[in-house]
Amino acid sequence: MSRQEQTALEASCASCHDCGLLTRVPRGGAHGMHCPRCGAALHLRKPRSLERTWALVIAAAICYLPANLFPVMTVTSFGKAQSDTIMSGVIYFVSHGDWPLAVVIFTASVFVPLMKLAILTFLLISVQLRSSWRPVERTRMYRLTEVIGRWSMVDIYVITILVALVRLGNLATIEAAPGAVFFGAVVVITIFAAESFDPRIIWDRSATGS
Amino acid sequence: MTQHGPGRDGFEDVAEAEIAERQRLSVVWIIPLVALLVGAFVAWRVLSARGPEITISFKSAEGLEAGKTKVKYKDVEVGLIEDVSLEKDLSGVVCRARMVAGAENYLRSDTRFWIVKPRVAGGQVSGLGTLLSGAYVGMDPVVSGKREHSFIGLEIPPIVTLHEAGRYFVLHSTRAGSIDVGTPVFFRKISVGQVVSSELDATDDFVTTRIFVRAPFDARVHTDSRFWNASGFNATVSPDGVTIDTESVISILVGGIAFEARDGSGAPLAEPETVFTLFESREAADRPNYTRTVAFLVQFDQSVRGLNVGAPVEFRGIEIGEVTSVKLEFDPKRVRFRVPVTIEIEPERIAGMPLAERRDHAALDRLVAGGLRAQLKSGNLLTGQLVIALDMHKDAPPAKVLWSGAMPELPTLPTPLEEITASLTQLVERLSKVPVEKIGSDLSASLAALRVTLVKSEGLGPALTNTLQQAERTLASTDALIGPDSSVNSELRRALLELSEAARALGLAAEQFQTQPSSVIFGKEGNQ
Repeated sequence: MSRQEQTALEASCASCHDCGLLTRVPRGGAHGMHCPRCGAALHLRKPRSLERTWALVIAAAICYLPANLFPVMTVTSFGKAQSDTIMSGVIYFVSHGDWPLAVVIFTASVFVPLMKLAILTFLLISVQLRSSWRPVERTRMYRLTEVIGRWSMVDIYVITILVALVRLGNLATIEAAPGAVFFGAVVVITIFAAESFDPRIIWDRSATGS
Repeated sequence: MTQHGPGRDGFEDVAEAEIAERQRLSVVWIIPLVALLVGAFVAWRVLSARGPEITISFKSAEGLEAGKTKVKYKDVEVGLIEDVSLEKDLSGVVCRARMVAGAENYLRSDTRFWIVKPRVAGGQVSGLGTLLSGAYVGMDPVVSGKREHSFIGLEIPPIVTLHEAGRYFVLHSTRAGSIDVGTPVFFRKISVGQVVSSELDATDDFVTTRIFVRAPFDARVHTDSRFWNASGFNATVSPDGVTIDTESVISILVGGIAFEARDGSGAPLAEPETVFTLFESREAADRPNYTRTVAFLVQFDQSVRGLNVGAPVEFRGIEIGEVTSVKLEFDPKRVRFRVPVTIEIEPERIAGMPLAERRDHAALDRLVAGGLRAQLKSGNLLTGQLVIALDMHKDAPPAKVLWSGAMPELPTLPTPLEEITASLTQLVERLSKVPVEKIGSDLSASLAALRVTLVKSEGLGPALTNTLQQAERTLASTDALIGPDSSVNSELRRALLELSEAARALGLAAEQFQTQPSSVIFGKEGNQ
């Protein structure tokens, strides 16, 4: 490790998130620190990052099941009610030849949340095992998770707009079904999970491991 | 961190961080806990809302969609068809349905399922709502009986659901007529019920028709109510002419059963499942029901064309029974054809009838001795229908009741028409007795004699000619004598003129006489 690659941690220093004041970490304790200038909590790393991320990932995984098993939308048209889960919607579009739409829905609603959960789980496990394997790629994966996460909300937005717009009485009515709530929960919780994960841990572990 | 001690790298004046108590467990674990609780709650709710799984087999899955088609009772969703698959032997389809929780109480061996779809039957249209919403499976729940999870779906919706108020009755008839499941039941031409089933009795003796009469009309069915087949229009050709009767336009199209209570009868209400007789027609139902019948045999040697089973037996024009069978028999011993006609007389129709006892020999013998005879009579000249007429014929040739057979045989008399035929036959027979041949031979003999006379008279010819010539001459001379140009004629004319002159003069003289009678004596006054 070259001299230029010294972290704040290695220098026994921490910077305040709020006011940017660089503080020296006192001997014997890295927790419960407060910025002497603005009073904000000071952390060398995001506090309990692993624990929080684990909790959120597990919560998201729990919500992911009902999100896919329950219908997300009920279309009532001419008195004929039809409930669709995410996958049945995808299958519907595939069977009707709307491949692009099917790909979009599948990517945004099935693939991305699943990928996020998988990446976060992988990162958590690899960090927990103090792996020093390819920290650059793993950081890149984390950034991808952060960036892509919000796009999963597309489905929820579509449902929201449809429910608000399609109010044609007996002709056609669209209502959100319980699956949508769970799906929204999955997306939001994974966003928080990605947020709570501190990518610097990847480097800490790889640094200590090496 | 301890290895990086303070005072290193010139950070001596950096502020000390404060250290607070460390938390044991992060609150963030509440989130997965809440997610788990909510997930578990939802899963529990879904699982607890899941009722029993049942299978229903249908002949065809027309209109059924796995995962979409619902099972409904009174339009309330009680289940969902989850899977539709073919039966192993391809004889039908098996639907797997997931019922709602609590539905197991209604899944008994009598519970019925059927597919509700638009249907036009029995004069009514049903299931129109399914045109838009798609077919659904109807259910008729039952709360008692054995629990069941496998059902055979009905092909046609049941006419009556088990919870409908009303009563079932059973009708017996010899023929089904145009009665089918769904055929309406009329009371005073109002549709009050429907036929639920119509099938042959186990013994094949009659057709058993079960009907359902809705409340409150079921209170109109009394023990003495009469049911009749009001199918289509009933055209009866009877000796009275043609009668056409119909209950309603619907009954013309789909048939019907009508019933009516006897007027003013205090008969009690009929119990459910009471068995009634279904009469062929309103006339048959209206006919007083005589319980006792006495059968007789009558034999006719003549044609019985126009005599049908059911033809009335009349006594002096009053119907007292009917013909029950008309047969043709061959008697090989006597080489004769016979037409034995069985008639049934309802003695209750005749006040004070001594025939009440079937084997009352003496009474019947007395009647026949008194001239009781059966006769074929034309009931309707137009249709040629025959009736059997009983009457007392005082001058009938003596006959006796034959008691030898299974039923007493009444003596018969030839029909009036037959009598005419018989007398005509007699006339022909008498005519045939006229000696036409003898008359012919006599006539030819006379003719021969005439011929001889004529031959003999041939010699008279020339003499006759002479006579004729002389006569002609005489006539010619007479003509000359009195012809228009003859002298006799002109003289005669002159004489006549003179005679008329004389007559005129005489007339004048007579006038003179009348006006001046004295002139006879004194002459004309003018001359004086």
